Amino acid sequence: MNDGAMGIKVLGVNHRTAPLDVRERFAHGAHEVPGALARVMAAGASGGVLLSTCNRTEFYLVADEERVTDVVWDLLGERIHGGATAREYGYIARDRDAVRHLYRVSSGLDSMILGESQIQGQVRDAWEASRAQAGPVLHRLFQTALHVGARIRTETALGAGTASAASAAVTVAGKIFGDLAGRAALILGAGDMAELAATCLADEGVRVTLVANRTHERARVIAERLGANALTLDEAWPHFATTDIALCSTAAPHAVVTWERVGGVIGGRRGRPLCILDLAVPRDVDPAIAQIENVFLYDIDDLQTVAAQATARRHDEVPAAERIVEEETDLFWAWYGGLGVVPVIKEFRSRMEALRAAEVERALRHLGHLAPEDRARIEQLSQALLNKFLHQPTVALKAAAEEGRGYGLLEALRRLFGL
Amino acid sequence: MILTLHLLALALYGVATALTLAPVMGMRTPPRFLTIALPCAGAAMHVVAVSQLTLVGLAPALSMLALCLVLLQLATERLVRGSAVGFFTGPLATGLVGLALLIGLAPGAEPSAGRNAWFILHVALSVLGLALLALAFIAAALYLLQFRELKARRFGQVFQLFPPLERLDYLNRVALVAGFPALTLGVLLALGYAARFAGGLHVGKAQIVWGLFTWVVLGWAVWVRVVRRWDGRRAAFASIAGFSAVLLVYLALKLAEPGAERFL
Repeated sequence: MNDGAMGIKVLGVNHRTAPLDVRERFAHGAHEVPGALARVMAAGASGGVLLSTCNRTEFYLVADEERVTDVVWDLLGERIHGGATAREYGYIARDRDAVRHLYRVSSGLDSMILGESQIQGQVRDAWEASRAQAGPVLHRLFQTALHVGARIRTETALGAGTASAASAAVTVAGKIFGDLAGRAALILGAGDMAELAATCLADEGVRVTLVANRTHERARVIAERLGANALTLDEAWPHFATTDIALCSTAAPHAVVTWERVGGVIGGRRGRPLCILDLAVPRDVDPAIAQIENVFLYDIDDLQTVAAQATARRHDEVPAAERIVEEETDLFWAWYGGLGVVPVIKEFRSRMEALRAAEVERALRHLGHLAPEDRARIEQLSQALLNKFLHQPTVALKAAAEEGRGYGLLEALRRLFGL
Repeated sequence: MILTLHLLALALYGVATALTLAPVMGMRTPPRFLTIALPCAGAAMHVVAVSQLTLVGLAPALSMLALCLVLLQLATERLVRGSAVGFFTGPLATGLVGLALLIGLAPGAEPSAGRNAWFILHVALSVLGLALLALAFIAAALYLLQFRELKARRFGQVFQLFPPLERLDYLNRVALVAGFPALTLGVLLALGYAARFAGGLHVGKAQIVWGLFTWVVLGWAVWVRVVRRWDGRRAAFASIAGFSAVLLVYLALKLAEPGAERFL
């Protein structure tokens, strides 16, 4: 296939290709998505969706130029330093492979925790956030991706069990403390992930005593739900001396739990273990904190590794899920391949026919002396020429449609002939 | 009869140990009831066998030590769900029973002593004390391994199979704090028995000096644990130091004065 032709592409990095410290640099907050997509669209993409989670940052594009690819790598490359390029960590999938990729992502087949369900919401959020720039093809692609995810969840047991980073947090804390009942937990951040993990801990008998957040009001809302007290982040640091578990999931763009803020406080614990669970990307906790002997620090990668171990049974469901992905990819590809080919060919031919008729009529007006049979011969000649001229483009369009590349050629045809 | 029961106990301990170690070898985890029922059955036969033994000499002491280890393993499984303790106690108990059988379970030089209540109490408390100190050592070793894995954020077999840190710390404390007085009382009973029934203490200077040294090291480990409130890694190292002192001193003294007639 011609890489430069208009088609669906996905470019990005994920947990398989990049370590956490690289991924957290590539992560885009919701407020950054429109700007990033605008740059890619300006480079020639006709549609774009940016999916950015803690495990992946992926640009889904409808684009016909390699320049767009370069812009994406440049855009990501600006976020890393030290001579590395985004390309080193990245991957590209094109056309059918790109469709299959998104379907696998949305169903949890490509997740670090096989079959995890959180990704469905993240795909939906990415689609919503990029709605203005997605374009008709990506709208359809993301709509069907959510359908594929739901179908796999219903028809297979890929999502069975309770493996998640939040439940892994309970497992890890349990390996330190044994019985978690009565342990005190401090929550930093007031997002959904923090609340989910805090709820998992509370279910095990952990006393969630404090919820700290940058804004006190949001902390208060979550604290009320968990029966805890609300604090601002700055008020939280002294409590590292007494809490057993610190669960961090703020949206801060840099580490907030630093050696300067809590190093001395933790030193006063007299050897009592402290379990710090950092669910945030970018990470909330300075990795240097783990050097303190009685501190056990785990980030999202660690928790997902633990959770992945709990999902071994889900591997049996992978073949069934992959079959559904293939089936749905075929359906999308059939739609995408034939997208508007017939009406556009019709319009193209009728536009050419109108031009031919008008030009023949104009010519014949100046050739009034011709006998009717000669006029008919000219008419025939123009018709034959038009058919000859249109034959190859029509055949090529139909062939491209069958290969799933009709959309790109149609776009070209529309632009060239003002259809 | 004693021999047959020991052989049966050995077989049951062996199978139970193999099953306990199966997950470590990457095999399927066996049903939990099997890893409890088999050593229970072995211990039942072992109890009957030991009750018929004259507790004089090395082999009976080793056999009794093995029995204590298995009973402590079962208690640990029940109390702190510490099945990983069996990774160590299982092979150790099996090996000790095998060694006792190899040495020969015939009565030692002073069969009449084996029927003396002071002597029986001395042996029982001393062996129980040793088994508890061995358990404390095992818990400390498991603690240090689990600690290392948790700090290094490795989630392999140690993470999955070993008990939680605080449970191991608790097990270490209980075993150490119970083991030290048991052993001390066992030694005091030996002194009392020697003074009252055996016409004086028949031990060499080296045994007294090194015995005292071992007692001081063990006492220090208990002191830092109970009085200084050490816990975690420091306490585990102290506990390992204590049991290592016992083991090394015993081996050194045994090498200096070999023979299977006496335990020490």
